[in-house]
Amino acid sequence: MMTATMSSAITASEPKRLPVGRIVGFTVLALVVLFAFLTPLVWPVDPTKQSLRNVLAAPSWSEPLGYDHLGRSMLARLAAALRLSLGLAFLSVLTAAVPGALLGILAAWKGGIVDRALSVLGDVFLALPGLLLVLMLTAIAPDSPWALYVGISLVLWIEYFRLTRATTRTLITSPAVQASRLLGFGPAYIIRRHLWPEIAPMILTVAAFGAATAIMAIAALGFVSVGVRPPTPELGLMMTELLPYYEEAPHALLQPIIAVFLLVLSLNLIAGRKAQ
Amino acid sequence: MTALLVADGVRVFARERIVEPASLSLHPGRPFTILGETGSGKSLLAQAIMGTLPKGLRAEGSVTIAGQRLSLAVGQGHRSLWGRVISVLPQEPWLALDPTMRAREQVAEGYGFVRGLSVADAARRAQVDLANLGLADASGKLPSQLSGGMAQRVAFAAARAGGARIVIADEPTKGLDVARRDDVIALLLREVAEGGGLLTITHDLALARRMGGDLAVMLDGVIIEQGPAEEVLGDPQHAYTRRLIEADPAHWPDGQPRKAAGAPMLVAEGVGKSRGGQRLFSGLNLAVHPGEIIGVTGPSGCGKSTFGDILLRLLPPDEGNVRRAGGQPAIKFQKLYQDPPSAFPHRITLRRAILDLVKLHGLDAARIEPLMARLRLAPALLDRLPAEVSGGELQRFALLRVLLLDPVFLFADEPTSRLDLITQQEMIELLVELARERTCAVLIVSHDAELIRKVSDREIRFTGKKDLDQVEPKAA
Repeated sequence: MMTATMSSAITASEPKRLPVGRIVGFTVLALVVLFAFLTPLVWPVDPTKQSLRNVLAAPSWSEPLGYDHLGRSMLARLAAALRLSLGLAFLSVLTAAVPGALLGILAAWKGGIVDRALSVLGDVFLALPGLLLVLMLTAIAPDSPWALYVGISLVLWIEYFRLTRATTRTLITSPAVQASRLLGFGPAYIIRRHLWPEIAPMILTVAAFGAATAIMAIAALGFVSVGVRPPTPELGLMMTELLPYYEEAPHALLQPIIAVFLLVLSLNLIAGRKAQ
Repeated sequence: MTALLVADGVRVFARERIVEPASLSLHPGRPFTILGETGSGKSLLAQAIMGTLPKGLRAEGSVTIAGQRLSLAVGQGHRSLWGRVISVLPQEPWLALDPTMRAREQVAEGYGFVRGLSVADAARRAQVDLANLGLADASGKLPSQLSGGMAQRVAFAAARAGGARIVIADEPTKGLDVARRDDVIALLLREVAEGGGLLTITHDLALARRMGGDLAVMLDGVIIEQGPAEEVLGDPQHAYTRRLIEADPAHWPDGQPRKAAGAPMLVAEGVGKSRGGQRLFSGLNLAVHPGEIIGVTGPSGCGKSTFGDILLRLLPPDEGNVRRAGGQPAIKFQKLYQDPPSAFPHRITLRRAILDLVKLHGLDAARIEPLMARLRLAPALLDRLPAEVSGGELQRFALLRVLLLDPVFLFADEPTSRLDLITQQEMIELLVELARERTCAVLIVSHDAELIRKVSDREIRFTGKKDLDQVEPKAA
């Protein structure tokens, strides 16, 4: 016991090490978000407007990122594609995390038949390969971002559900929660003071990984031409379209690749190596 | 008599010195015990001697083990002695055993890897060791199939298998009830009787007394008193040692039991409960009168805590019923927990937790300050997290928290079993005093029969044999 108290006292008195990885991750993500959302304000160019004179033109002062194979502004297209990916990823993480976490708490709290039913539901979704589910939905409703979004959310929520359920199950039987109940506190208080502070850091980690997964999934589907349809700018689709011109215009092909790389890297850095 | 182990001027440093120069010598056949409270530095001293200090700490001084002099500042040379000459009986050994290995294999590892015997020889020697400890039948069992006492003996055999003559026992009775504590003491003393060296680290005064031999008392990193155990405990020179001995429940002044008065406000009739297919108790009747203190004793696992939880309606009884008379609301029935840190939300400050309670029930926040002063809690502690205050302070916060609700019944489930002796006495005194003052009935559970005898108006004794004695009021 002595050792434990001593060593914890020692680590507590040391200045906390800054998680450099997280800071870098947040900075990169912030820059990408700023680029995606500020570009249309300072550079209001239609991402679908073609000008065949400029086909595959290299970057210049008047067009910082050059033109693609149809003479469309790469800057405008890249920003629009990033907005789509970021928006979809954010939405799917949100719609996966909120019900996932709530159902997890519900299952752990109620136990019995509710717990079993929800767990089986989770297992059913997990038994389907995630990408297949998204493919099925996009096949049913082609060229609609919502199909992508619903599909990705349906795959992602299980992780939040399982994590929250496992954490809540141990917390709910702890003396601390029992004491709070005896003192007259209701479920809202127990969620706010006991459960949420323990679950929130884990959810942030999983959400960052989930957003990275969503961005990769959207790009992968675009790359195999299942996701959104041309001429909508989308990172995966842009890669497919520009692939035949990699010799003439490597700069154009590299741009969506770098964008995906930066997004996924920053989200993984934010997620960190493991939850607390 | 040549000493097995001599420590000379051993000091431990973090940033500043946390263990002052300590010297001791351990003789064959004579136990040496270091007695001290949590944070007194006794474990650090033992770790410095063993060469197992955690990272960030360093030691100076020297240790002579089996004729070999080691400088602690250099910090080398211990490794070759571990297992062969000196070994550690870990705290709570049932947690130290590998849950996936059978008892004999765990012991045979020592023979095989430390002494280099063949697999067959190692297994044979392990079997002999286990048989000597009365564990011949248990050699093929996994730790989960062993009782706590058996697991402790297996851990002991494993610690000894490398051939070490010097055993360091770190809090060997932590978390044990009285019967199992006696088993462990017998086991350790047997080892000493065979001429081994035994260095015991403990906060348990009764253990120190039973071990005999030499005793050192530690306080704030200093050995304040050292000598033969009978002398130190019989005629303590230092004020702290005297205080420590007085804090032993056996030396507490007798309480003044009161006769129950008024109509009972909590009645249990024919209550029974089973757990895991085993009947804990049945047909239990109890009427709790306002303001009385009821003590509950019995061996661990006999259902003492379960009974209290049933009275609080935290658990449903299998048979019988519990009635609350007098229309008292549910929040007037409260509980104090065994492990204070686990009874508070971990990530919010104590101020937040207490203000939440005040807000929820519309209490008068002005009552907090005088009550804190009464419980000898410094206001600055309010801004800390539960993990950042001591166990004794946190238990007093737990008492503060329930007292704000003016309870009529308080179930105190081993409220001091994780606290040091002096802290325990302070806590129990405050609990009894405040309960008497506020006419709050207390059901106090403890494995310490002496403590229960001193504080309670009447006792319930669980015998662990499906029935129980209800001891009637001590005073007429």
